[in-house]
Amino acid sequence: MSEELLKAMAQSIIDGESEIAADLARQAIEAGLDPLTAISKGFVEGVNQVGDSFACGDVFLPELVMAGEAMKAAIAVLEPELKKRGAAREVLGKVVLATVEGDIHEIGKSLVGTMLTASGFEVFDLGVNVPADQILAKAEEVKADIIGLSALLTTTMVRQKEIIEAMDARGMRNRTKVMIGGAPVTSDWVEKIKADGYSEDAIGAVNAAKLLLDAPA
Amino acid sequence: MNNPLPPLEPIRSAYRLQYLTDEQLDQLQEATLDILENVGVKFPSEKALQVFSAHGAEVDHNTQIVKLERDLVFKAMKSVPRYFRMAARVPEYDLQLQDGTTYFTTDGCGVQVCDMDSGKIRPSTKADVGMMARVADYLPSIGFCWPMVSAQDHGGTAPLHEIDAGWNNSVKHVQSETIMGGRDCEYAVEMATVISGSREELRRRPPLSLVVCTIAPLMQDHAGIEGAMVMAQAGIPVGFLAMPCLGTTAPATHAGAVAMGDAEIISATVLMQLISPGAPVFHSLMQAWADPRSGGYVSYARDARSRYGVVEMAHHWGMPSLGACYGTDSIEAGTWQSAAEPALDPLLAGLTSPEIVTGMGLARTYTRLYPEQIILDEDLYQRARTYLMRMEVSPETLALDVIRAVGPGGHFLGQKHTREHIRTSLVRGVTHEFDSNGKYREPREVARQRVKWILENHHPAPLEKAQQDELTRILAAADRELA
Ligand code: B12
Repeated sequence: MSEELLKAMAQSIIDGESEIAADLARQAIEAGLDPLTAISKGFVEGVNQVGDSFACGDVFLPELVMAGEAMKAAIAVLEPELKKRGAAREVLGKVVLATVEGDIHEIGKSLVGTMLTASGFEVFDLGVNVPADQILAKAEEVKADIIGLSALLTTTMVRQKEIIEAMDARGMRNRTKVMIGGAPVTSDWVEKIKADGYSEDAIGAVNAAKLLLDAPA
Repeated sequence: MNNPLPPLEPIRSAYRLQYLTDEQLDQLQEATLDILENVGVKFPSEKALQVFSAHGAEVDHNTQIVKLERDLVFKAMKSVPRYFRMAARVPEYDLQLQDGTTYFTTDGCGVQVCDMDSGKIRPSTKADVGMMARVADYLPSIGFCWPMVSAQDHGGTAPLHEIDAGWNNSVKHVQSETIMGGRDCEYAVEMATVISGSREELRRRPPLSLVVCTIAPLMQDHAGIEGAMVMAQAGIPVGFLAMPCLGTTAPATHAGAVAMGDAEIISATVLMQLISPGAPVFHSLMQAWADPRSGGYVSYARDARSRYGVVEMAHHWGMPSLGACYGTDSIEAGTWQSAAEPALDPLLAGLTSPEIVTGMGLARTYTRLYPEQIILDEDLYQRARTYLMRMEVSPETLALDVIRAVGPGGHFLGQKHTREHIRTSLVRGVTHEFDSNGKYREPREVARQRVKWILENHHPAPLEKAQQDELTRILAAADRELA
């Protein structure tokens, strides 16, 4: 029974069926299945398969995003149960992600978020046009390992610098690394503002994040 | 010294093509009206919401979503001028928008420059904006100027420095695509007034216009829309540019993407008409594609035919259109990709006859300037411009006398008629320039040399000293307040 259930869980992720995934999560709780097992042996199997197919070019971004949504739906059901049992699921690291204030370019930032999530990071995507205070407050609240800042305009890039300075002032740099990106960002800029990581694309962003946390690439 | 004004050579096509049938245009317009009435568009601006409320639109102040009934839309759209004037520093270069004439501009606001001699790539500066404005001022294909790169050495007020560099290096009309926000636009109006001489003259012959992007799906930008209202009230033409991206910010089908983009543009146009009836507004829709493998922004899919049908959508609303050409995804100039992607653009645009079109000269999806690329892009332009002219058939060009005289066999080299016409019958592009050995040169080399020649030899009339000083004073105030 549980073998079948785990298979169905993986399949719900592959199919990107959020409702089915949430349903299966509920069934697992009712059947007394360990929620961590449900995640790692069930749903994550599906995520891994979608990730592999994406890497081979067999499935495309919509599949990846829908798998991510289905995963979220399942986790939302399982999380309270996990808490009850005093367990925590394993994540590679916590990332607070945002496009800086005054800038509404969303696509690149969201892709970075999708890839990080698919690779096992817990991502708090605050959206676009986000003021520095809000980003820093969230990072402190969730004890973020990484802050990811996207800026697509030459006029908003300076916000990346200001946020890093504010982190210095608050003494946050030891616990939280900063990763930046966006079309006008260059490695010179990264050096100039003393960011910790940078990437030109979403796949690179995952590697950069892993590097920052000394996680295996 | 200052040169005489080089000619302007807009595309005046002898032919016309209709991409979308009347029925399809109606279908698309119905879709726009449906979206405006039932889904709505988000306007994150209190000022905009109040204007909509005052005119009876359905406004939700919590979500900032505005829904527009068709009657309100049509009533407001009635006052949009079909044509208007985009004036220049000299009246000879004033662009009176009209049917059958298409003026092109440069591409705008790249972030990197590749140095022609060293090949090194570096961040762009205000000096680069000035340099390219001078090149654009010289080229007959360029009717008006977008500041080509970002004045990154000027931080938050870069957009104002960009138009300053435009007017200081060109006498043509300047169109910004970066000025945003109410205060910034007030400064821009002040600067434009210095060029025009007075507020009335600014309204009559605006030397500046502005492009504001809408945000797919179905949103406006706070700073963008507040700035647009300031410009419209001063009589400065404003265009709304929707860039729906198939698959990420828009449905993955052409028709849905352009209908949604159209709804964004029309909602903003309605606002301009409500706040300032008769305000000159243009329509622009440049859809792009999300690469399903990477999410990357693809501006030139192999099937990019919907680039041209959108011009007809603008005209269907009774608005002038800013068409979208050039802006290759190629990371370098002079590659197969950089020529293949835009090769048909000016031709097909010419056939649908947008009033204005952007924009020559940038690579890497609007982010990198190779100064010589504008010459290569102009080469494609001039090909299209001439292909769209009718061939002359007359006794002189039929040359029957000469054919009779030569008869079967022989050649035409010894004919007076040949001597007279051979020089003009072969029009040289950048592809057929000789080197000192009588061999054709590499086109990219020719283009580089031409840019250098223009920079050495073309000096558009400078602004009067008093105007320069006044612009500098305004910029200093803006720097203090906004930087
Ligand atoms: C699409 C687009 C828009 C859309 C955005 C839609 C949306 N919902 O996101 C719209 C039309 C709304 C828009 C608006 C504007 N835009 Co715009 N836009 C673009 C465009 C064409 C593509 C951006 C994009 O989506 N790329 C696809 C994604 C996948 O790539 P990406 O964003 O670069 O992200 C990747 C990497 O950079 C990296 N990355 C990104 N973020 C992060 C973060 C981290 C932590 C890491 C590690 C990596 C990383 O990974 C990502 C995934 O691979 C660019 C040109 C370009 N080639 O970049 C101009 C561009 C950025 N825009 C530009 C301009 C001028 C504007 C406007 C000011 C225009 C106007 N007058 O209204 C407004 C500004 C609005 C605002 N307040 O921000 C200019 C900026 C020039 C400058 N000097 O700053 C550009 C360069 C185009 C140009 N030359 O004119 N724009």
